[in-house]
Amino acid sequence: MSDPVIAVVMLLAFILTIFLGFPICFTLMAMGVGFGYYAYYDPTRMQTIFDNRIFDLFVNQTYSVMSNDVLTAVPLFLFMGYVVERANIVDRLFHTLYISARRLPAAMAVAALITCALFATATGIVGAVVTLMGLLAFPAMLKARYEPSFASGVICAGGCLGILIPPSIMLIVYAATSNVSIVKLYAGAIIPGFMLAGLYMLYVLGRAILNPSLAPKPTKEEVGDYSALQIVTMLLTSFFPLAVLILSVLGAILFGLATPSEAASVGALGGLILAVCYRALTWQRLRESVYLTIRTSAMVCWLFVGSWTFSSVFSFLGGEKLISEFVIGLDLSPIMFLILAQLIIFLLGWPLEWSEIIIIFVPIFLPLLPHFNIDPLFFGILVALNLQTSFLTPPMAMAAYYLKGVSPPYIQLVQIFRGVPPFLSMIFLAMILMYIFPGIALWLPEVVYGK
Amino acid sequence: MERFINFADSLSAWFGKAFAWCIVIMTFGVGYEVFVRYVLNDPTVWAFDLSYMMYGALFMVGGAYTLARDGHVRGDFLYRLWKPRTQARVEIVLYFLFFFPGILALIVAGWKYSARSWRYAEVSVMSPANVPIFQFKSIMVLAGILLLVQGIAQVCRCIICIRTGQWPRHPEDVEELEDVLIREHGLVTVDTPEDKKI
Repeated sequence: MSDPVIAVVMLLAFILTIFLGFPICFTLMAMGVGFGYYAYYDPTRMQTIFDNRIFDLFVNQTYSVMSNDVLTAVPLFLFMGYVVERANIVDRLFHTLYISARRLPAAMAVAALITCALFATATGIVGAVVTLMGLLAFPAMLKARYEPSFASGVICAGGCLGILIPPSIMLIVYAATSNVSIVKLYAGAIIPGFMLAGLYMLYVLGRAILNPSLAPKPTKEEVGDYSALQIVTMLLTSFFPLAVLILSVLGAILFGLATPSEAASVGALGGLILAVCYRALTWQRLRESVYLTIRTSAMVCWLFVGSWTFSSVFSFLGGEKLISEFVIGLDLSPIMFLILAQLIIFLLGWPLEWSEIIIIFVPIFLPLLPHFNIDPLFFGILVALNLQTSFLTPPMAMAAYYLKGVSPPYIQLVQIFRGVPPFLSMIFLAMILMYIFPGIALWLPEVVYGK
Repeated sequence: MERFINFADSLSAWFGKAFAWCIVIMTFGVGYEVFVRYVLNDPTVWAFDLSYMMYGALFMVGGAYTLARDGHVRGDFLYRLWKPRTQARVEIVLYFLFFFPGILALIVAGWKYSARSWRYAEVSVMSPANVPIFQFKSIMVLAGILLLVQGIAQVCRCIICIRTGQWPRHPEDVEELEDVLIREHGLVTVDTPEDKKI
């Protein structure tokens, strides 16, 4: 067997082992070292069994993950997210938004979506948003006689915005894999993120206008009576602390702080201040946030330790070149390549989670981008939009499982799944819009950072 | 065997929780840098080294703690459907095939790598402050040893599960907010795997 064929065998063997359910980072590490031992085998240097250059490669790759200046932002933003999700900020926000939107059709659904989008700006974590909103907005919507599938679609889709809207952990991970500047990616994701939230809202409004029985209008007694002045005061008081945080994070990104960890530490400090403002920062909660931060950071970053070793052995054996030549030989047009890549990522999102897809599978496409003249930043935002679906498509639809976990027993998982497809189509619509008008993603980074 | 599992769990958790506080040092350290650089226009020379050292130490040492709580991501859409005994049988084989070789390579190669660094008391080239980094490189060995111990404990867990047909319970620990909420408010239990967070 020639070396490139061995590389392909290595990749296939790895994909097969994923299905056995062993922690992926260790599989990658062992396969990288194992196949690397073969690849770098040099009989003239073999005094002991450890005289193989794969070991140098392995520690060097591990050390580059340890001293990577993009990934430093991962624990900081996770810490911020864990602190903020424990700060009880959604209740008041949702209530206020509902009161202000009460005259709109499907007011509660609209309020829930706005709450999700704003909350997403303060945390990049999905599970907590879905469960918090599932406990708060979902029963409220059911009580207001909203159709259960419709209501659950709103919560699941809205709750996932956090991985797209900055500061999202997913985009940091993409930045570390693709070497696109993380602050540029964040600047690029702001408009598509809010555009997607807007599309969700348009869908909700449209459906409610066409079919008012989905989301009945509340009666006067149900909402209560508020004067305009009261509403404005409520909006100001419930928005103000969150606005400080959002401004500190987005501001840090847009005014271009030098390194990602600087932007992230401003965000983490902002999160702590916000929690103090809401009188929600107890010793217990701080400890919880600190310990969860290390566990989740270790989960993400150990994947890098494995995959960087794995992929350098893979390309040393010539696997990367073989795949490039194969894809280029297919003679695809850029649009066909883009659709094919996104389709593969979408299908991978059914059984797998975003972290595995971005760290292991997206790097296979990245070297092909220059050939098709596709901006890796643009590709990254498309991937981030696309991977919203990985939380919503069965069998691993985590958003649906979280919602099921906190909803009343008469709500069936099937009902929740039935609410999701319209929002999936909004995600596809957003991707099509992005393709037709690339400026949606590229305009802001150009304005802020130049070409 | 159970005593060894408890020992490994508490060892990993102790190191993990101790190094977890690096995040607070990092937040305030880099926050201070932002203040002095952008407000006072007088940047520090050490903040950049501090940030990656805290981050690197945090996640490397956290690896074993995460393993103890079954927090490493797995492609488990088939795995979840199997009986615990099947899961344990497959897993015990995979530990010997994919876990121990990689971790031993990390310990041995990491040892050589950091020993070289200790010999000439290597300092960081990222900044003029001459921040030493040989102790940071040794973190690799520490992380490897902790993972090795925890890995043996995980194998013990598999053996217990093959014998009894049930996974031994994990010790009480902090949980993700969604798990807490689902446990407190959920009327039905839905099996959400530990590692699908964020």
